[in-house]
Amino acid sequence: MKTKLIGLIVVLAAIAAAVIYVTVGRKTQVTALNGYVGGEKIGFLEDQEVQDILRKDYHLSLEYSKAGSLDMVAADKEGKDFLWPSSQTALEYYKSEVGKPVRSETVFNTPIVIYTRKAVSDALQKEGTVYVQDGIYYVDLAKLIKLVEDGTSWKSIGLPQLYGNVTVSSTDPVKSNSGNMFAGLLANTLAGGVATESNVDQYLPEIKQIFEKSGYMESSSADIFSEFLKMGIGSKPLVVGYESQLLEFSVEQPDIWKQVKDDIVMMYPVPTVWSSHVWIAMDDQAAGAVDALQDSTIQELAWKKHGFRTAVSGGSADNTAFPDIAVAPQVNQVGQMPNYKTMKKIIDALSR
Amino acid sequence: MRKGKWVKKFFGRAGALLMAAILVSASALAGCGGSGSGGGSGSQETVSSGRSTVLGSGSKKIRILSGSENRELEPVLSQYADKNHLQIEMTYEGSLDIMRDLGEKDFAYDAVWPASSIWMNAGDSLHRVKHAQSIAINPVVFGIRKSLAQELGFVGKEVSVNDILDAIMAGKLRFCMTSATQSNSGASAYLGFIQALAGDTDVIQKEDVEKQEVQDKLRELLSGIDRSSGSSEWLRDMFVKGGCDAMVNYECLIISANKELEQAGQEPLYVIYPYDGLSIADSPLGYVDQGDKESEERFLGLQEYLLSPDVQSQIQKTGRRTAYTGINEENKSVFKSEWGLQPDRVLSPFKFPDWSVIEECLNIYQSQLRKPSLTVYCLDYSGSMQGEGNEQLMKAMEQLLIQENAEKYFLQASADDVTILVPFDNSVRDVYRSDGDAQNMKALYDTLQSLFPDGGTDMYTAMEQGLQEMKNYDLSKYNPALIVMTDGQSQDYYDQFEEEYLQDKSGIPIFSIMYGDADSQQLDQLAQLSNARVFDGREDLVGAFQKVRGYN
Repeated sequence: MKTKLIGLIVVLAAIAAAVIYVTVGRKTQVTALNGYVGGEKIGFLEDQEVQDILRKDYHLSLEYSKAGSLDMVAADKEGKDFLWPSSQTALEYYKSEVGKPVRSETVFNTPIVIYTRKAVSDALQKEGTVYVQDGIYYVDLAKLIKLVEDGTSWKSIGLPQLYGNVTVSSTDPVKSNSGNMFAGLLANTLAGGVATESNVDQYLPEIKQIFEKSGYMESSSADIFSEFLKMGIGSKPLVVGYESQLLEFSVEQPDIWKQVKDDIVMMYPVPTVWSSHVWIAMDDQAAGAVDALQDSTIQELAWKKHGFRTAVSGGSADNTAFPDIAVAPQVNQVGQMPNYKTMKKIIDALSR
Repeated sequence: MRKGKWVKKFFGRAGALLMAAILVSASALAGCGGSGSGGGSGSQETVSSGRSTVLGSGSKKIRILSGSENRELEPVLSQYADKNHLQIEMTYEGSLDIMRDLGEKDFAYDAVWPASSIWMNAGDSLHRVKHAQSIAINPVVFGIRKSLAQELGFVGKEVSVNDILDAIMAGKLRFCMTSATQSNSGASAYLGFIQALAGDTDVIQKEDVEKQEVQDKLRELLSGIDRSSGSSEWLRDMFVKGGCDAMVNYECLIISANKELEQAGQEPLYVIYPYDGLSIADSPLGYVDQGDKESEERFLGLQEYLLSPDVQSQIQKTGRRTAYTGINEENKSVFKSEWGLQPDRVLSPFKFPDWSVIEECLNIYQSQLRKPSLTVYCLDYSGSMQGEGNEQLMKAMEQLLIQENAEKYFLQASADDVTILVPFDNSVRDVYRSDGDAQNMKALYDTLQSLFPDGGTDMYTAMEQGLQEMKNYDLSKYNPALIVMTDGQSQDYYDQFEEEYLQDKSGIPIFSIMYGDADSQQLDQLAQLSNARVFDGREDLVGAFQKVRGYN
């Protein structure tokens, strides 16, 4: 009888403890926001430090599904509070498809770069397409386009181990942002300035031809970058990506980075364009999240751990955070992306 | 379950856990010893049909839909399952099936692991895949018996697809390859052929594969195929049992085949990396997000384990390359140079074409270019097939014989295909034949609809009839297969059948589909005899027929 009573008391005490735990726990209610995000920001969103600040200081948690920047605008948005694509173009696309968002704000910037391997950059340097200034690699985009258009074989520029002709691999410009921005960048380069609605038509066949040489294209910038790193020089010798991707990788995978760093080269195209990571809030809760993302600690984490330049500083960044990567402290020769109507012409031409 | 939900709502997660703890201890006190362990999920070790394998024995499960080439990694997976008290359930399918299943709303797995990300991306129309990471890197290569490779002048030099084509056209080389419309290794090799034959092109365009001369050469090339298969792993197994000179497969499966061949005192294969048609399978393991956080955590744990340096090194020991820095010094000996392996080779693949072009190429393969198939179906019409059995059989036949349905699975017939039906009970009912014409195929279906199951079971007599039928054709022009579906034990005329089969010398593979109370021993005997395979159709007869259709 006595033991039974003790048992009952234990059970009651446990239930009381649970009730107290739950009531106290309720106090800091966290709002979970749901949205589509470009793959290149997943590392940032999965960052425990970032999550902790969002939860503790802003009572927010961000749930996401991965989608291409343009795909997400067209995707089923039911149950989603925000979109977080990687370009101004996606925002303009959203405005034309859906209307004005509740709020939109550029949270980070990162320039479009071209990744390659040492053997390839050496060959291109010898051949005059790539040059090095203050230890930073630059690639003359007009010259690179010429190599591609002429059907220059890898073999003829001293790389017989590579099959086929010089091509630049990007994600699908119709579906994903980095490829889309590369298409804009090609248009700018061919136009010798920012391509416009009135002059872009004459360059469309050329742009189309360049992309046709790519064949199957990935639809995620993260996937193509990871393929570039993992599959060796032969698979994708030149890959369009974001500067942030390599910077983040060096922090997240320091051991692997140490093994491959002498072989990986990040080249800044001349000219290049900014990828602007625009937060598109589709409801009031998501609109409030902008302030959280602009938190100074979060912005610092975004640069030092994930390689995103803050949108506030105008693009200059402290490159000492990445001592063993040739990071340009200031990205010059950054052009504007062609406007949405011009990009739409390009995308339409490439969709056919 | 409703009670659990209510508890959760009321007390939150902590409360639910606590309540669960109380209930468990209460039931333990009451001494109701539980409902017996094991029990199993019903999918016990299926008879060589290559469906699910359960590794480990924990209460939590990770279900992975995977390409068959990963079966060799089961020991690595088992280690993890045992250590973490988990069950890892591996279900093996061809990459194209994985692609189609992934596109369905109902998806009964936590993760996908196809041979190449191209199928994962194409199938992920619902944007559910996340955390995809390449676990291994496998080039698709030619393995040719070493003496033959030497004879052909392929040893120690760079070989092109055209060199291989020349050998095939000269009648010096025949090979085995998986079906391009069912399996990644076959599809990749086939696209590599087109790339090389299309000549000076950066990437295959629609016009390339529509050119008459390209199609003629492809047909010629594919006519050199001795045996086909729906699965890369099974192709390897079949090869080791003998009868073929060369196969197209993953580098890792050629390595494992060579180990077995050498052990059996046989000649190993010499690996050729065709420089103008090489492809790489990146073996991505991706999580399929269906909103279960715990399952996601379990997945990430497994993935982290697989990508850890130690395990990556173990994976290399199976003949797989891994990411970033190539093959570790200590594992280079696995990639023997006397087998033609080049561990330090820069793998420079051709570019896969745009998805719409890939689809077009696969359709042309299935409906025009592949070696025509000559298929005899011996179908059980005994009394026990009445009702459910016959309904399922008709559903399966509807998928194969009605061409609009077959097309959805790239299983449509080509004009030169021959289909012969031999319905049987304790004797042969009749024989029905058709070419690949859609109307004629449909007529076969209509005929079957008019038959009524009745009588006893004797598949052997029906199969003898089937073999007899095949004698009317020049077998060198076809990929032949005899497919027998049965739901019961046959009268034991096996010995007599074996004698006739061996006398015939054609070596036609006999694939069987087990249904109802079929005798698995009888079917295994047939698979052994003819170097073929048993498919388990007891749970999904339609699926079994679709799978077997990918084997010739």
